[in-house]
Amino acid sequence: MTDVAHLLQMLWPLLVLQFILLVVALIAWFKTDETKGPKWVWLLIILFVSMIGPILFFILGRRTD
Amino acid sequence: MSQFLTVFKKECLESWRNFSWIWVPIVFILLSIMDPLTYYYLPKLMEVVDDIPEGMLFEIPEIPAPEAVMMALIQVSSIGILIVILLTMGTIAGERKSGIAELILVKPVNHITYILAKWFAKFVLFFVAFTTGILLNWYYVNQLFGDVGLTELIYLILFYSLWIMFAISLTIFFSTIFKGPGPVAGITIGVLLSMSVISGIVSRWLPWFPNQLSTYINDLLISGKISTDLWGTAGVTVALSIILLTGSFLIFKNKKVL
Repeated sequence: MTDVAHLLQMLWPLLVLQFILLVVALIAWFKTDETKGPKWVWLLIILFVSMIGPILFFILGRRTD
Repeated sequence: MSQFLTVFKKECLESWRNFSWIWVPIVFILLSIMDPLTYYYLPKLMEVVDDIPEGMLFEIPEIPAPEAVMMALIQVSSIGILIVILLTMGTIAGERKSGIAELILVKPVNHITYILAKWFAKFVLFFVAFTTGILLNWYYVNQLFGDVGLTELIYLILFYSLWIMFAISLTIFFSTIFKGPGPVAGITIGVLLSMSVISGIVSRWLPWFPNQLSTYINDLLISGKISTDLWGTAGVTVALSIILLTGSFLIFKNKKVL
């Protein structure tokens, strides 16, 4: 059991960072009016493709013009 | 100078508003710490998760600490640099496409100031992201793999930033030539890839090719000394970046239609 505790102790920053990334992507998704492609598809990508999904949305998903 | 600051602040504000200042550092941290952590904990994770039959052991060779630091650099130089290019491509090319560049340059903002401020704003963002990532990687490596000196680490950060600077300059250079972010990113990535192929072929005769930076940084981590080759490569990288930026000024200035 101590092993699991130690693992969690070392690995929690990874989980927290991924979580922040997800939350920020969701906020950005919520605030964007127009996305490239259907908006709900991006929600699925952000939620279900871990780490890569939010990055893809930040880079490609939002319309800048 | 005040114009420079105005454009610079506008860029930073924009990066802040579109969350780049949050997600880019997070992604760079994840890139830098993911591999060493997985490498170290994978066997332990497997032990916890499955019941492995007795006698079946996962022997993963121990790696020296410098190699665990280099794992971060390998990730950053592929995915990290891709993010650098994709985020930089829009800054000038996108503003030209949407007409914002014309609006800004109608005001008494010099072309050189405009490009330099944008270049610097991007560099600051990625420098901060990269440094944070590497420092966290260093923390983990010292905990799990062994000691790497802080001096070597600072050299690594400074020398590798030159490569990031080069990638930004290259992207900006192409975004003054081509309109629209897509072609800019495509061509920049193409050039960087062909550079690494060429560098692989000619490295014996051209030891100071910019792509060699990480090879020499690896040597630096192991030996603790900055080799002449590292200085030379750094010099070439800086010189190329200056040439690219000067080229961007000239091309941008002579464009009649943005």
